[in-house]
Amino acid sequence: MIRLEALAKTYGLNPVLRGVNLNVAEGEFVALVGPNGAGKSTLIRIVATLMRPDGGLVEVGGWRLPDFAGRVRRHIGLVSHHSLLYNDLSAAENLAFYARLYRLPDREARVLAALRTVGLAARQRDPVRTFSRGMLQRLTIARATLHEPEVLLLDEPYTGLDQEASAILDELLMEEKGRGRTILMITHDFARGLSLCDRIAVLDRGKILDEVDRAQVSLPDFLAHYTTLTSRARRGEGPR
Amino acid sequence: MSSLAPFFAAVWAILWKDLTMERHTRQVLSVMLIFSLTVSVVFNFALGASALSADLAAGRNAAMGFLWSTILLAGTLGLNRSMGSEGENHALEGILVAPVDRAAIYLGKVLSATVFTLIVEAILVPVFIVFFNRPFWRPQVLAVLFLGTLGFVAAGILVASMTLHSRSGNVLLPVLLLPLSLPSVLAAATAAAAFMLDTPPPWNEVSFPVSLVIAFDVLMLTVGFLTYHFVVEE
Repeated sequence: MIRLEALAKTYGLNPVLRGVNLNVAEGEFVALVGPNGAGKSTLIRIVATLMRPDGGLVEVGGWRLPDFAGRVRRHIGLVSHHSLLYNDLSAAENLAFYARLYRLPDREARVLAALRTVGLAARQRDPVRTFSRGMLQRLTIARATLHEPEVLLLDEPYTGLDQEASAILDELLMEEKGRGRTILMITHDFARGLSLCDRIAVLDRGKILDEVDRAQVSLPDFLAHYTTLTSRARRGEGPR
Repeated sequence: MSSLAPFFAAVWAILWKDLTMERHTRQVLSVMLIFSLTVSVVFNFALGASALSADLAAGRNAAMGFLWSTILLAGTLGLNRSMGSEGENHALEGILVAPVDRAAIYLGKVLSATVFTLIVEAILVPVFIVFFNRPFWRPQVLAVLFLGTLGFVAAGILVASMTLHSRSGNVLLPVLLLPLSLPSVLAAATAAAAFMLDTPPPWNEVSFPVSLVIAFDVLMLTVGFLTYHFVVEE
């Protein structure tokens, strides 16, 4: 569903992505981990069509980017660091706005169903600026999945959430996975990444260092492996 | 026609969103109105003081210049606020991720900012008629006012989008926008002032400034349509 080959991106003279190769199959949940500045957010912004790659191949659902960005956009949902919501609109108005942008049929019913799914139906008329971080993130998930995208891109969705809100987000993501969505998630929370995903990929210094099948590794083993990989990358030994 | 339907649906969605937000907060209109009415009163009192020792008619003839100065500054404040809402929570990225033509985003924002500016002008013009006793109500004057406003807003949305995520965006907007829109505003002020004379001039005497205003509108809207995706995409 997502295919990256030799993906490259440079900011000025600073190469951020240096030949990234990564495939995410349909219905697969892949967690992307790596230290700060590894290029994770840049990668997800390229897949989300917000940024153009400088080189390499990027395909989503068989559509090549950036040439077919318009077609890809209909099939992706993005949860980024920011909510991408309007503080001065209510929860229902925010979703209604996105329903209009995506030209969704049965707008009101769909918006209400989405709010019920994330447990915010009772607060549908309240301005978003009155929402807690957890509620905001639940509404963000509702916004990103309102048009039923095949691909869900998550950029550190747990940032700023308390344990209860994180647990609710876990449930929502498992539901989304159960619906057959392909999910690519950036996270710094290895435990959460391993518990939710099918595969975990390590990105550092603009390259994929390794990909690990969740079923074949425990959290302590993965942590040790991750430390070894990133230490070697820091010493300039490159990927395995 | 069917290929245009998604385009206009997106334009309407953005216009609806901006109008709904303004209905809730009145942040754009209240800022623009308070500023413009205050400036109008200041101009009026300044003219009143000078009238004691100078030619009142000369001051009144400069009324169109006062009006345009007020619109430019109030409009800049409105544009800042209007585009500022797209910067909060990086909301504009939400629109960019959607399958929406970038030109539709531009047109939607131009329409909403034009509506807000025209509402302010609808209140400002009667105030100027009372203060300066000049025929601002003439259809030709209002038509030039509308055309000038459209060009100013068309340029303003483009510049405000460029400066949206820059650290000093609020300062950069007037610094870039006011000189850019000056040719159109000068022409609009010249034409509108001519239309307010007791004996309006023949068309051939005002056709040049009016044509300049229209040309600026067409140029800015065309540039916005063709380049907005470069402005908003990384």
